[in-house]
Amino acid sequence: MDITPKQYAAALYDSVKEKKKNNLKAILKEFVKFLAVNNDILKSEKIILEFEKIWNKKNKIVEAEIISADVLDKPTVKLLKEYIAKLSGAEQVFSSQLVEKNLLGGVVVKYGDKIIDGSLKTRLNNLKEEMIK
Amino acid sequence: MSNTKDFIVEELKNQIAGFKTEVKEQTVGTVIEVGDGIVRISGLSDVMMSEMIEFKSADNRQDTPNEAKNQVYGVVLNLEEDSVGAIVLGNFESIKEGDTVVSLKKILEVPVGDNVVGRVINPLGEALDGKGKLDTDKFYPIEKIAPGVITREPVNKPVQTGIKAVDSMIPIGRGQRELIIGDRQIGKSAIAIDTIINQKGENMKCVYVAIGQKESKIASIVAKLKEHGAMDYTTIVLTGASDPASLSYIAPYAGCAIAEYFLDKGEDVLIVYDDLSKHAVAYREISLLLRRPPGREAYPGDVFYLHSRLLERSCKLSKQYGGGSITALPIIETQAGDVSAYIPTNVISITDGQIYLEPDLFYQGNRPAVNAGLSVSRVGSAAQIKAMKKVAGKMRLETAQYRELAAFAQFGSDLDEETIQKLERGKRLVEIFKQDQYEPLPVAKQVLIFFSAISGLLDSVPVEKIRQFEKDLYNYADTSGENVLNEISEKQEIDKNLEEKMKKLVNDYKDTLDYLLKDDISKN
Repeated sequence: MDITPKQYAAALYDSVKEKKKNNLKAILKEFVKFLAVNNDILKSEKIILEFEKIWNKKNKIVEAEIISADVLDKPTVKLLKEYIAKLSGAEQVFSSQLVEKNLLGGVVVKYGDKIIDGSLKTRLNNLKEEMIK
Repeated sequence: MSNTKDFIVEELKNQIAGFKTEVKEQTVGTVIEVGDGIVRISGLSDVMMSEMIEFKSADNRQDTPNEAKNQVYGVVLNLEEDSVGAIVLGNFESIKEGDTVVSLKKILEVPVGDNVVGRVINPLGEALDGKGKLDTDKFYPIEKIAPGVITREPVNKPVQTGIKAVDSMIPIGRGQRELIIGDRQIGKSAIAIDTIINQKGENMKCVYVAIGQKESKIASIVAKLKEHGAMDYTTIVLTGASDPASLSYIAPYAGCAIAEYFLDKGEDVLIVYDDLSKHAVAYREISLLLRRPPGREAYPGDVFYLHSRLLERSCKLSKQYGGGSITALPIIETQAGDVSAYIPTNVISITDGQIYLEPDLFYQGNRPAVNAGLSVSRVGSAAQIKAMKKVAGKMRLETAQYRELAAFAQFGSDLDEETIQKLERGKRLVEIFKQDQYEPLPVAKQVLIFFSAISGLLDSVPVEKIRQFEKDLYNYADTSGENVLNEISEKQEIDKNLEEKMKKLVNDYKDTLDYLLKDDISKN
């Protein structure tokens, strides 16, 4: 049986959690050696992705993407972050911001596989469909 | 003029004031792979099995013309560790890798209601007959658990197919599942269509599910049904041969959901699945594309369950539960008469009997080509009316004897009197079973002709004249023997008195003929 990237990542997480920083280097070296022995170096990118997912999940970290029509000021971003934290039950929220002019107004928040669409564009579209009905 | 303008503006304001948007959290996924009618999606972590999903392609978000904006839906069929497999209901060419998918939080449903009667629709409830959108606000899920034991009762009312060979020897009851099986081009659909035509005035709704059929064939079926006034109580669910396999796969379930609406109203429904071998092929295609392991004949392991859960939804409900029924006539096409292939054996074991059509009989001119020996109805005889039961029992025996003797008599010419008489009788019975398409026969007339045959009244009619005689006898009975026919259909039983009346009717008619054989002994 092949070892999947997910299994690698889970194993790596188990071996590094609650370890001190100076031990980590040795563990990682061993891990890479293990990958090489199994001819799985090519999987490393996927393993890193999976590892990030696991790490975020265990430490209750959420990565969110905030898309808005204009650059948002700091208090608004902070409010949004608190809102996301409340929705997802996370303790820490990392956010990245994106500006997309054709949203017209409002924000779209994406985190994990969830999306909260509060943009003016969608609302106008919904209104349009309602009117056609 | 300004009045109208004011009204419009006012109305618009009201509309906008009443319009509230709600910002909801939605679960989304992205398409990572598109195949022939299937997609693989990442994300959608909390999606359910057989949940509906909507594809929002990048194009749709731009201001594309309306027809191109047609929403494409899908159904989740595979839940895997890091991806979701789904089938696309509709045009999968517009879906691209990276498109957004939204889960709709509901199981796939079809519109049902009284308005679907007389329509030709696809399995999603979209009209295909150009009569405009279906006007109904009721929806039924396409997958439903079949009614349980306590809600059911044994079949007790017949479905009159109007086909002599079927009604006499292989009777079908309301709530039964009777398989029609045979090679291609042998009259399987014809039996089903005749049955639908014969339901006129029988208080029966009909659903005809065409799975992967040629659209030309369906067009002619619809025309025929219209001609006979059968579209007044019939719904046609159609997936054409060029439609994606996913639509063919859901078609019988959608048809069954439409039937269940009438069942819940306590009505009797007849549903025809034409045909389930194409359905199995469509499911095989989907399963293989979704990389489920293939089994015998490359069908997936759950192909038995595919049909059993569908046919189990046919039922006869007891009085407390409305008393409705769904009678199913599934059709299976065999390859060169091979009934021991995978799908035919499966469906034979699920159904309550089968009507087996044979090529040899068909080419000999015995149409419908029902093989009476291999065809059975396991429960239908309980529902047969008494009059028919009485004549049919003897018929069955005499036909069986004839078949045996006929095979034996081929070798010798020296036969005793009794054998010759049996052979002559048998030949006439075979003639009687012949019946033209689109000409279903009321049960009273069937009883009359069968009674004439087994009581020897037809022995004096030359074999080649039997069909002519039959036709003319019906005409004669319609004009001067109406009370006899009425009595049969009212009493549903043959007593001595009625027996005499029938004998008299037939003999009276025979007196007007000039082609009878001379040594007529039956009159004595």
